[in-house]
Amino acid sequence: MSNREDRELNEVELQAFAAELDALRQRTLASLGSEDARYIRRVRAAVRACCWSGRLLLMLGWFPPTWLLGSLLLALGKILENMELGHNVMHGQYDWMNDPELSGRDYEWDIVGPSDFWRHTHNHVHHTWTNVVGMDDDVGYGVVRLFPEQRWKPFYRWQPLWVTLQALLFQYAVAIQHLRLDQYFKGRLSAAELRPLLRQFNAKLLRQWGKDYLLFPVLALLLGANALAVLVGNLLANLLRNLWTFAVIFCGHFTEKAAVFSKESVLGESRGHWYLRQLRGSSNLEGGRLLHILTGNLSHQIEHHLFPDLPARRYAEMAVDVRAIAQRYGQLYNSGSFAGQLATVLRRIWRYRLPPQAALQP
Amino acid sequence: MPLLPLAAVRPLNPLLMPWRRLAARAWLREADCDYWLQRLHPLLSLNRVYARLLARRWVSDDMLALTLQCNGNACDWRPGQHVQLFREVDGVRLSRCYSLTAVDGRGRIELAIKRQAGGRLSGLLQDHLGIGECVELSQASGSLRWPSQAQGVLLLAAGSGITPLLGLLRQALASGYSAPVTLLHYVRERGQRAFAEELQALMQRHANLQVRWSLTGQAAQGDELSGRFCPAHVPERAAEQALACGPHGFVAAVQRWWQGGETPASLQSEAFSPAPVDAGEQTCVRLAFRRSGVACQGDTAQSLLEQAEAQGLRPMHGCRQGICTRCTCQLLSGRVRDLRSGLVSDEPGQAVRLCVSVPLGDVEIDL
Repeated sequence: MSNREDRELNEVELQAFAAELDALRQRTLASLGSEDARYIRRVRAAVRACCWSGRLLLMLGWFPPTWLLGSLLLALGKILENMELGHNVMHGQYDWMNDPELSGRDYEWDIVGPSDFWRHTHNHVHHTWTNVVGMDDDVGYGVVRLFPEQRWKPFYRWQPLWVTLQALLFQYAVAIQHLRLDQYFKGRLSAAELRPLLRQFNAKLLRQWGKDYLLFPVLALLLGANALAVLVGNLLANLLRNLWTFAVIFCGHFTEKAAVFSKESVLGESRGHWYLRQLRGSSNLEGGRLLHILTGNLSHQIEHHLFPDLPARRYAEMAVDVRAIAQRYGQLYNSGSFAGQLATVLRRIWRYRLPPQAALQP
Repeated sequence: MPLLPLAAVRPLNPLLMPWRRLAARAWLREADCDYWLQRLHPLLSLNRVYARLLARRWVSDDMLALTLQCNGNACDWRPGQHVQLFREVDGVRLSRCYSLTAVDGRGRIELAIKRQAGGRLSGLLQDHLGIGECVELSQASGSLRWPSQAQGVLLLAAGSGITPLLGLLRQALASGYSAPVTLLHYVRERGQRAFAEELQALMQRHANLQVRWSLTGQAAQGDELSGRFCPAHVPERAAEQALACGPHGFVAAVQRWWQGGETPASLQSEAFSPAPVDAGEQTCVRLAFRRSGVACQGDTAQSLLEQAEAQGLRPMHGCRQGICTRCTCQLLSGRVRDLRSGLVSDEPGQAVRLCVSVPLGDVEIDL
């Protein structure tokens, strides 16, 4: 943790630290109301407007202005649905509304990864064991070495290539994470255990491909439009979303000043410890309102990790308090511009591709 | 302006079947289908029940009867059953249970809403729900039935407990039930005798019906009874079967009387308030896990997750500390307290996290 200058907190301080964050959580919870409900419904309306208008424009064929606009609108709709609507709803952030259409347990998002997979790998594993090497699979997703604490393998030498592939196919990377194929190939997971998961995965994959790459192109054919233009427009939209979500998510926990933790350090962890780990392991992105919305407010990754079940639109106002609390307890509040944070992530990917000795001599 | 007339809503319902099947198999998103259907008419929905308010009628000083036209998803409802009425207040979809006082075959129903002191929904519905507005209802449930073979029926109602019994009574009399029927209605004040005029008119038309009111908070006049339920109020007329509905205390008193002997052969009862439980102390409560079909004794100290696991259930869960929301389940009835914040939830349909919730009294969970 040489890249951070955090004050170590004793038990009493940790308790007070947790109490302050708990109080902030309570204050925000108590103030949830019709504004938040209206907001998430407006986000959903925007998702529908973008996706449906994008698909409509794609029906006009290759004519560049409409084709490009259609693809971009569809990409925008998919990004919003993925980040601000799906991710946040599936965290149970809007469960307090009692609206069955926005219930975290039932929402199914528009990507190939089944929501149930995500609720396990992300909501449970990643959010409970954030940045604990060996417990949080999101640390490198098994294909990238980002921290010196990760054991080096020859395979990591080509990780810039793996990362590029992962970025291009990000929704598939997220989806297969839950299948634990590495465990299967090592023989620690039986075929019988894997089969039901595979069936669930295939069913969702079939639905997504059926919709984007079959239904709408065939619809175009029937309407006498250009099916290929529709197909390629859908591919482009999914590709753009993959790249965007990859960039945002890698900036959340793998920036230069993000910390990782050992398995031993989380044994018997208190609430204060957990809060502290979330603060140290996450990093924020600074930017305008549009950036925050397009990242699903994961630009406030620190606040999201401290309060994963509070509506994300509140993170911006909570960030003021969190920053002040972090400062009072001598903790670094890791925040920077999107470009700046992304550059540090890319530097990590490049640097830690090499084994430890080699990395010491730049 | 809806594109379709109200009259087309129910006939259209069977045509939605293919869409319903696709949505059930996750090929379509139900919320998106409902969005487009509601552009056609605000009552249309694949699976949810929406109803339009047709008429409002005061039936006592504090009770308002609403006549509603439901969409086609309300089928096979019976008087005497109850539905949840949903209404969004400050972003939260609240619901309250109301009995069906009348049901016709074309989706027209009547509910009666009593004003609750300090209630969040009843006052709002009475004061602000206007003719033509749409509300959402749940599917009807409840097992009270008219014992049509009985040689005499005794109806015991307290407060708004009159509503399911009135629904059953209207239907029974309309279909020609001719054995003696006695209805005792317990109210605090004279002005709370809901549907009194209609009941008096029914008495004149049907010689087999006798209705008496008992006032618990005012001096009795004429043939009125006085005080809370006591066996002496029950007339000598033989009644084979009894139905009782009211708050917990009233129903418990009736059940004690019924268990004493010399009484009707069978008793159906429905209480609409739970037994009070002291918070803080460790007490025994009834837990019901509906999907698993498990009912058991529980306590108010352990989390619902631990208690469910102690029953051999294996609910989906994750962090066991309230972070990951994997164990979120719907609270169907009762009150629970969040161990972290002390916040009490008693809203039916509220999502609660089993790992950080303890019951405060009898609860039913959708697990």
